[in-house]
Amino acid sequence: MTDPMSNFTTLNAKQLAGLDSACGWSLNALELAEAQRYFKKAGREPERGELETLAQTWSEHCKHKTFSGPVSFKAGGKTKKYKNLFKETIVKATRTLNKKWCLSVFTDNAGIVEFGNKGKWGLAFKAETHNHPCAVEPYGGAETGVGGVIRDILGVGLGAKPVLNTDTFCFGFPDTKMKMPKNSHPPERIFRGVVEGVRDYGNRMGIPTAAGGIYFDDGYCLNPLVYVGCAGLIPVDKIDKKVHSGDLIVSIGGRTGRDGIHGATFSSANIDEETTTSAVQIGHAINEKKTLDVIMRARDLNLYNAVTDCGAGGFSSAIGELGSETGARVHLDAARLKDTRIEPWEIWVSESQERMILAVPQAKLKKLAAILDAESCEYCVLGNFPGDGRLLVTHGETSVVDLPMAFLHGGVPNFEKPAVQRVIKINSKTPAKPAKSYGHILKNLLAHPNICSRHSVITQYDHEVQGGTVIKPLQGRYGDGPGDAAVIWPQAATLDLADFAGFAVGHGFNPALGKIDPYQMALQSIDEAIRNLLCTGAEISRTAIMDNFCAASPKDPRVMGDLVLAAEGCHDGAIAYGAPFISGKDSFYNQARDAEGREYPIPISLLISATAPVEDVRKAITMDFKEAGNPVYLAGVCGRGMGGSVYNDMTGPGNNHITPLDMKAAVRLYTTLLIAIKKGWVAAAHDVSQGGLAVTLAEMAFSGGLGAQLDLAGAAKEKGLSALELLFGESPARLALEVVKEHETGFLKLVKGLPVKEIGHVTEEPALLAGDSGNNFFREDIHQLKTRWKRELI
Amino acid sequence: MNKPKVIILRGTGTNCDIETLTSFKYVGAEPELVHINQLLSGARKVLDYSIMAFPGGFSYGDDISAGKIFALKMSRLNADFEKFIKTKRPVIGICNGFQILVKTGFLPENKANAQVSTLYNNDCGHFLARWEKFRINKSSPCIFTKGLPDEIDLPIAHGEGKFMIEDKKIMADLLGRELHAITYADNPNGSMHDIAGITNAAGTCFGLMPHPERNFFAHQRPDRPAGAREAVSVGYQFFSNAVEYVKG
Repeated sequence: MTDPMSNFTTLNAKQLAGLDSACGWSLNALELAEAQRYFKKAGREPERGELETLAQTWSEHCKHKTFSGPVSFKAGGKTKKYKNLFKETIVKATRTLNKKWCLSVFTDNAGIVEFGNKGKWGLAFKAETHNHPCAVEPYGGAETGVGGVIRDILGVGLGAKPVLNTDTFCFGFPDTKMKMPKNSHPPERIFRGVVEGVRDYGNRMGIPTAAGGIYFDDGYCLNPLVYVGCAGLIPVDKIDKKVHSGDLIVSIGGRTGRDGIHGATFSSANIDEETTTSAVQIGHAINEKKTLDVIMRARDLNLYNAVTDCGAGGFSSAIGELGSETGARVHLDAARLKDTRIEPWEIWVSESQERMILAVPQAKLKKLAAILDAESCEYCVLGNFPGDGRLLVTHGETSVVDLPMAFLHGGVPNFEKPAVQRVIKINSKTPAKPAKSYGHILKNLLAHPNICSRHSVITQYDHEVQGGTVIKPLQGRYGDGPGDAAVIWPQAATLDLADFAGFAVGHGFNPALGKIDPYQMALQSIDEAIRNLLCTGAEISRTAIMDNFCAASPKDPRVMGDLVLAAEGCHDGAIAYGAPFISGKDSFYNQARDAEGREYPIPISLLISATAPVEDVRKAITMDFKEAGNPVYLAGVCGRGMGGSVYNDMTGPGNNHITPLDMKAAVRLYTTLLIAIKKGWVAAAHDVSQGGLAVTLAEMAFSGGLGAQLDLAGAAKEKGLSALELLFGESPARLALEVVKEHETGFLKLVKGLPVKEIGHVTEEPALLAGDSGNNFFREDIHQLKTRWKRELI
Repeated sequence: MNKPKVIILRGTGTNCDIETLTSFKYVGAEPELVHINQLLSGARKVLDYSIMAFPGGFSYGDDISAGKIFALKMSRLNADFEKFIKTKRPVIGICNGFQILVKTGFLPENKANAQVSTLYNNDCGHFLARWEKFRINKSSPCIFTKGLPDEIDLPIAHGEGKFMIEDKKIMADLLGRELHAITYADNPNGSMHDIAGITNAAGTCFGLMPHPERNFFAHQRPDRPAGAREAVSVGYQFFSNAVEYVKG
């Protein structure tokens, strides 16, 4: 058999495409031509390892070429051109805001902001997706997703200590009626597998999984989304890293095997029957725990000059990145292997898990080795960073790769993608009065998969390891109320028990809005994430956010149109709230063919993860009602429209109007409310989101084991608002508050002129009573409401 | 008096070591994290310390069964451990630490140090992390639980917490001598007699499934009761009791 690479420079476009498909590279015609041009000029045929390296380095997964490429967007007869969509929206907002507390943005494995008031620490935060692997092998995909994002935190700067894991999942409804294509897993099976994977990996790592969410929509039946995030603490003097010429390339942790070949390139392909599970890596948490323990000790002893993780592309991208200026000499025979039946190029691109690459000065190797041995952590010295800008990879006498770094990192060609705005019909007629009673609707909403209790998932995660989960995902009198955001007191990283500085992490996510208006979805997701932080008493003026986009194929101009609108929303939202993006990631090609062979894309999905400092974790607040007699207030204006609501999901299409977000008003409102919370005037705060106001108030009541008597006549609302919209509409920028009775006068003075209105009071009697000027909406027993809500989702 | 030296014994996969360390520090002890490899190499000696703690985690991945591999690693140094326990120096095993003490045979106490009980998979079949109510056995000789209220809240976080003893005589003896120092009010895992933690007859060697280091400060509680002004919570008592005991 002849080597298919032996005549690479002479192949025509069709043959190149055939070779690409046979090798699983996911390179496009332009990139294949560019590679061919390079080798023609070099006057030789490529080694397989070289084309593999290009495929990894130029992959969507590693280079994000769709988002950071040129786009031509058509909407309403106008065309707007972007040279680099990402830089002209998300990055632009961060540059404009130019916050001095942002210590590192968009450059390293994670974004870093200042933490605490001593100028000693930075907080690193990163979120990733692991969608394609979870569709094919849910348990393994979720495990290695968690493992991967933790390594991003271990590999940021000179290494941060992970103190929080987050996860947000999107699945088809567990009881979906959709007919599944051959060889695909039903949503319930994916759900279980993913939860078990996150559980088994996160728990073994000793990192609390304490924030996130689960979202169901049949749009995710064939392509589940698994967002995994991690936050860690890093000393500010360990943020900079620089490889020095002559440093050794040391791989620590797991061994290299044939698992996870082509993970990076496979994520740019649509999943079908032919997709193999060997593209998914195999996780082993304990190996990663060893690397964590080693890195923390070695970092504090200054035993290396740089570190990064082996993620997508394995050695090829980790060593390629670290050596992008110095070049690298790599001897693959030195690698520790899981499996000896492995080709040299496979060693180079394998995505076997739990490996970190360190750049170690020769003189410090002995000390590092002593720590590695003490922690029973394996390692190998793969070569060095010579300083000549050349990447030379060998195995024995054979050359595997010999390329200039400049071509590898600068050579990727790009092309303009067309984008168009979708046309969506908006029905803004006042919704009809429902046939069922409001109490009945409330109970059904509480039991809806997108609203009901997540306890059966959360309690499988060790969400309190490290002893710092101060505001927990499950909170209140019985430890089961649904928290808005987690607050972490990272004592296990600072070891300072007299320092009560912490940070909050919250999320905003609503693809139901995106189906109607991607721009509003982005704005309202930012709003929701910040509102969630506010509910704990976090310093929202110091919010940092991250974007994680998931979309279908960017070859579809409508998908690109959704992306452009959402990215513009990200920009405008970040500016209005003064919340810079510090990191982000995107995942495309989340579409597959359904049982009938039709393309089945996911809806545009944007997860906003937000973090803000909490000055004193002892003063952070929860969402449960605390004391009978306290007044209940609604902050924010109830707007018209049922667009994107869970009610609409339950009842089918109707009014789909979305109240646009008034960001200026929201910022003014939140800033004042934070003052009240910090003064200790607010006993409980809960955001109004999925299910609307009625659901928010019900959750506050049953989580505190108390009732409430409410007259919604006083609430600030848009003219002509129907009772249905008032109770179950999901207009943005609202939260419900329980105010401490004795501070009510002070509170009222503070919020004067703002849409903050009393709507009732907390009662000892365990009943939730809501009406509107004598007009009774419902009277429900809180225990019954809770029973409906607290169902076992899994 | 000098601060009592505490050895916090860890291995690959231990993950509650730091909060156990900070808890001991807070109650006025001088804790040190020591890897089992450091004991095996002779770099550290068990008998140089006055208190020993086995923190929670997934030692060696909990492969084979929870705590088993760690227990096997300890077996070469059993003479030292036995002497440590016999001289009534306080030993606490929390969660995975309790599993280790059970797998070594140090708990329940028996002459041969043979494993006579186990902590088996929770009845629900998976890992469970949530807050539970516990009853403190006031008649127990356990020094760690002295002075605690009758009922306390602590979080659990384990997959293998179902306490079982096959031999009825051993169980009867354990119950008869009030060695079950702490029990579940609402059994979450199927443990026999609702047992959540046991001690040796001297009351100095104690293992328990829940995590006192996670309810050590008032602000670690999920209910965050309005008006709470105390800095510490019930978990504090477990650690301060050990230090007070050593100080005499």
